[in-house]
Amino acid sequence: MTKPVYATEGSIWKSILLTLPMILLILIFIAGGTPDLSTPEKSVAFLITFLFLTLLFFMILYTGKTDRYRAWGFVTMALFFALTFIVNLIKARGSMTFSQENLLACEIPFCHIVTTMIIIPIAITNAIIFPGSIIGGFASIASMLVIVIGVSLALGRGFCSWGCFYGGWDDGTSRILRKPKIKKINPVFRWISFAVLLIIALISAMTLNPAYCDWLCPFKTVTEFEKVTSFTILMKTVVFFSLFIGLVIILPVLTGKRIQCATFCPMGALLAFTNKINPFDVRIDKENCSNCEKCVNACPTLSLNTEDVAAGRPSITCMKCGKCVDSCSKRAIHYHIKGTPVNKNFSWARNLFLYPAFLLLVVFLGGPMQNGIILLINLIKTGSLIN
Amino acid sequence: MKKILTIPAYIWAVACFLLVPVTFIKNDAFAEQLAKLPFMKIHPKYNGGELNRNYEKDGLSVRINRPVYAALFGEGNKGFVQVTFSAPAQLPEQINQTIDYNFDNNPDFQVTINTLNGETNLIPLDQTVKSVYASSKVKEDWVIRVNIEKK
Repeated sequence: MTKPVYATEGSIWKSILLTLPMILLILIFIAGGTPDLSTPEKSVAFLITFLFLTLLFFMILYTGKTDRYRAWGFVTMALFFALTFIVNLIKARGSMTFSQENLLACEIPFCHIVTTMIIIPIAITNAIIFPGSIIGGFASIASMLVIVIGVSLALGRGFCSWGCFYGGWDDGTSRILRKPKIKKINPVFRWISFAVLLIIALISAMTLNPAYCDWLCPFKTVTEFEKVTSFTILMKTVVFFSLFIGLVIILPVLTGKRIQCATFCPMGALLAFTNKINPFDVRIDKENCSNCEKCVNACPTLSLNTEDVAAGRPSITCMKCGKCVDSCSKRAIHYHIKGTPVNKNFSWARNLFLYPAFLLLVVFLGGPMQNGIILLINLIKTGSLIN
Repeated sequence: MKKILTIPAYIWAVACFLLVPVTFIKNDAFAEQLAKLPFMKIHPKYNGGELNRNYEKDGLSVRINRPVYAALFGEGNKGFVQVTFSAPAQLPEQINQTIDYNFDNNPDFQVTINTLNGETNLIPLDQTVKSVYASSKVKEDWVIRVNIEKK
């Protein structure tokens, strides 16, 4: 049986045609429709970002490879997000640390992971246990919650592979070694994140303190953290920094898997439930499947094992990154719209998924990438990122 | 029948495809609506609680909030009270105030703050007052949170 191909695969004109609507969306979302070309730096930054995103989407369509090009954008997003976030903090506060003043003034930016810690206290105390602003300012609580709700309804846990500005870190480190040193990982580890979610949600509720943010979040290493003014804060710093080294760098490098995202992120576990309430999933056409288990080995989040292949679908933890889809030489595994036949119209299903998913990447990468390029140009010109 | 069922499935997929741009384009409007919901408020443990009383003394405006005894259910035994000092122009180098946080006409604690280096000394005058939990300049004001316990 010949390998099925996507409608755009290998066809330049069809790929260009389907890239055109995305070009319009890229223009709207990275430049508000009218690019700011007032300085050479801004013009260069806009042009590089626009071309990079357009090329990625075109290549996804033209080559039929999803994850290969998604990963370029996703890792770039994580790096530029961290760069611009840190530089902005240093400009505003003088360092990456936040102070007691920022806490008392409720000025801490709200990140999507906090959602997991505020749900029980909201239900019981009718208030949000986080020192941020409800509305207005950078990353307000209401604004971030709207994004979490909208994106999870549209893409489910696809957010973790297309929109999360932290996920690119261990996605990137998991690709450093071509052949992982640790090859066999028990897929039972994929359920650990649900235990983390449960424990974190309960501890946060009992203490009225966002425990994961306070003690564990490894990504504080590349964003902001509390100024060390006591032994307790020093301990917190040691804990989250060690977790970053272990879960985001060492283990992903050794295993080739996104260990932090797959096993330790409570938000990922929460978003896994939203995989049940959105139309896109990944399915295996059992008639075409040769049971080679390349997809099982490829899955970076331990969402596929032998039983899942036999059942014809990955587990609820699937992040829709497309790595299993890319790995299948028979194209027996592909994006699918619930309620439609598994082995028909998979080009339609893929394209309908790709537009909103890639748009998420555009939204979260567009701003940081342009700002990051401007910073890098300034670094070359002045020798400083800050001035 | 199966073919008919695919129609709502594709409509659902297209709706989700539209939901992502709408989420971002209308983010401010949706956020404003969300912020109006009754649970969209910062817990007193973080915002310092509601203002209880405001008075002027020694050229300073003193704002004393309601004590916060944060707990998941009801109130805990331990909590804090937030006091904010502000001045019409600039905060003095030294703030020295006696505070009656529960308004029983008996002073509860005396606090001395060096606003240049943040050094804060607390003298408890009531057994409910324990220690300084936080003391910091916040914008143009000086905010302290003092740990307290119920009698």
